[in-house]
Amino acid sequence: MTRISLLLILATLASAMYLVGVQYESRRLFTELERAQREARRLHTEFERLEVDKRSQATPARVERVAHEKLQMRQVTPGITVYMGQKEPSEQRP
Amino acid sequence: MSRSIRYTASPLLTSRTPVWRSKLIVFALALGFVGLGARAAYIQVINNNFFQRQGEVRYSRTLELPANRGRILDRNGLILASSVPSPSIWAIPEDADLDDAQRAKLAQLLDMPLAEVNKRLADEDKSFVWLKRHVEPEKAKQIAELGFKGIYQRTEFKRQYPEGEAAAHVVGFTNVEDNGQEGIELLYNSTLLGRAGSRHVIKDRLGQSVEQVGETVDPVAGKDVQLSIDTKVQFFAYQKLRDAVVNNRAQAGSIVVIDANTGEVLALANYPSYNPEKRLNLTGAQLRNRALTDTFEPGSVMKPFTIGLALESGRVKPGTIIDTSPGLVNITGATIRDAHPHGALTVEQVIQVSSNVGTTKIAMQMPASEMWETFSGAGFGQKPQVEFPGVVPGRLRPYKSWRPIEQATASYGYGLSASLFQMVRSYTVFSHDGQIIRATLLKNNEPAVGIPVFSADTAAKVRKMLQMAAGPGGTGPKAQTAGYSVGGKSGTAYKQIGKGYGSDGNRKYRSWFVGMAPIDKPRIIVGVMLDEPTAGKYFGGEVAAPVFSETVQQTLRVMGVQPDISIRPQIVANTVQESF
Repeated sequence: MTRISLLLILATLASAMYLVGVQYESRRLFTELERAQREARRLHTEFERLEVDKRSQATPARVERVAHEKLQMRQVTPGITVYMGQKEPSEQRP
Repeated sequence: MSRSIRYTASPLLTSRTPVWRSKLIVFALALGFVGLGARAAYIQVINNNFFQRQGEVRYSRTLELPANRGRILDRNGLILASSVPSPSIWAIPEDADLDDAQRAKLAQLLDMPLAEVNKRLADEDKSFVWLKRHVEPEKAKQIAELGFKGIYQRTEFKRQYPEGEAAAHVVGFTNVEDNGQEGIELLYNSTLLGRAGSRHVIKDRLGQSVEQVGETVDPVAGKDVQLSIDTKVQFFAYQKLRDAVVNNRAQAGSIVVIDANTGEVLALANYPSYNPEKRLNLTGAQLRNRALTDTFEPGSVMKPFTIGLALESGRVKPGTIIDTSPGLVNITGATIRDAHPHGALTVEQVIQVSSNVGTTKIAMQMPASEMWETFSGAGFGQKPQVEFPGVVPGRLRPYKSWRPIEQATASYGYGLSASLFQMVRSYTVFSHDGQIIRATLLKNNEPAVGIPVFSADTAAKVRKMLQMAAGPGGTGPKAQTAGYSVGGKSGTAYKQIGKGYGSDGNRKYRSWFVGMAPIDKPRIIVGVMLDEPTAGKYFGGEVAAPVFSETVQQTLRVMGVQPDISIRPQIVANTVQESF
C-alpha cells in the first residue's frame, strides 16, 4: 500500500515538474512569436513608409525638374512624334 | 464556591485560576476565526469581482491593435495620401529628473526651444504630457538611445502626401488625430478609417507578453479610395495655372479637367495652394477650393447655351444674319454694348467674336422660361452631384422674377453665378451629344449616362462655333494647340465692386476659358479661371486661353490621343541624326 502511494506521489511530482516545464516553454515560445509578429508589423510599416518615399521621389514635379535640368530633355510635341496605329490618319503625311 | 482549574496534583502548587479566563481566551480566538472567515467570504464571495479585476490589472493587459488608415490613390494606383508610422515623444514630468545639460540636448533633438521643454516638464501633477508629436524617425532613435528617465515614445501614424501642393485641394488633409479635415480625406473619412482590434495578454515582470487570454479581435484596415484624378495631368495643370497666375499677377486661379466621355475629373487645381504636410500659417486664401466653392458671374462663357437654345428651338440657323450695329442695343432704358461694333454677323460669328448685342437680340426672341429651363438643365443654380464637401450651387433666379434687362444680361452670363466646376460640367452638353453628364471624382471607367438638354445636331453646331471662337478671327486663338483641334469660349467678366462693376480704369476682371478637344469627338473638357489679372492683359482669350492650350496638349498626349489635324513633322532623318 505504502509502495503504491510512494509511486503515485513520485508520478504526481514528475507530472507537476513537467507541467511547469511545459508552461515555461510555452510562455517562452509565445514571447518569441510575439517578438516576431512585432518585427513583421514593423517591417510592414517600414515597407509602406518606403513605398511612400519612393512615390515622393517620383512625383511628376520632380521627374519634370530632373528631366529638364539634369538630362536636358524637352517636352514631346506631336511634331516630333510618329503615330503608329491601324488607322493611320490620312492628313498626317504632308 | 466557584470552580477552579487544577493544573497539578500537588496541593503545594495549586493556584486558583477562575474558569472564565480560559473561556475568554477561547472566545477571543473564536472571534478571530470568525473575523477571518468573514474577510475570506468578503474577498472571495461578496466582493469577488473587484479583487479579481485588481489582480488581473496587475498582470494582464489589453493591447490595442491599430488599424491603418486607407490610402488615397489616383486613377493609375499611384499614392496621393498614405499613412506612415511616426514616433511621438511623451513624458511623465514627475519621473523626468533631467539636469540642464540633458534638457538642452533633448530640446535640440526635438527642435524645440529649451524654455518650451522646461515648461512642459514643469507640471509635476500631470502623469502624461506630449513633448512633441510626429518626430522624425532618425531623431526619435537618438532620443531613445539617450535613455532619459521619464521620457517615452509611442508610434502614431502620420499622413504623407507625395503630390504636395499640386493635389492639396482635392485630397485634403487629416488632423493630428488622423481624422479627415478637408477634401476627400474628410468626405471619405469613415471609409478610410479602419477599426482598431484588440487582444488580451498576460505580461510577466519584464513586461513581455507570455500568454494570450481569450479571443483576438483583428483590426480592420481602412479601405483605399481610388480617385479619378490623374497625377500627371493634375501636376501640369497645376503647374501651368501657377505660372499663369504669377505672370499675370492675378489674385488666384482654378483649373478643372474632366473626361468628356465618363465625366471623371482628371485634374482639379487651385492656386494659391498649400503643402498638406506643412500647414503652419495657412491662410483662408490658400485653403479655399475655389473651383468648387467660389461662384462668379460667368460672362461670355454662357453665350453658347443661349445660342444653343435658339438653334434647338429652330428660331435661328448658324447662318442667320443678326444685325449688331451700331454695337449697342437698348433694353427698357438700359444699354448693352459690345467691346467693338461688329455690324451684321451670322449666328456663328456672334459666338466667334463674342457679341453681347447679337446674343441679346437672339435671347430676346425667346421666352424667359425656356432660357431658365435650359440653364437649369445645364446645371446652373443646382448643386453639382459630386463627392466633395462644400460644393456650392451657384445662383440662377427663377425666371418669373426676371425683368427684360435681366433676361438680356443672363443671355451673356451676368446676373447669375456658377463655380468653375459647374461651368466645365455644363460644357459636357456640347461634348456629349447634347446630354449633360454627371461629373465624378471617383474612378469609373464606364461611359456616363447623360440627360438630354440639346439634340446631338445642335451640340455639333455649337461645337463648330466654339472651334471658330478658338480659331483665327475668334476671341481665343491662343487656345490653339499643335496637332489637336480645339474649341472653346473665352470670357472676361467684370467683378462686382460694391454694388456695381466699377468704372472704366477701375474695373476688376475675372478671365475664363472653357473648351474641349479634339473638337469633333471631344475627349476632354478643360476650364481655366483667373481672378483679377493685373499685369496689363485681362481678356480671357489672352490670359486663360494659353493655360487651356498647354493643358490640352499635354493631357491628350498623356491619354495617348492621336492628333486629328495635320502637323508638320519635325523628325530629323536618319542620315542627319548621325551628325549629332
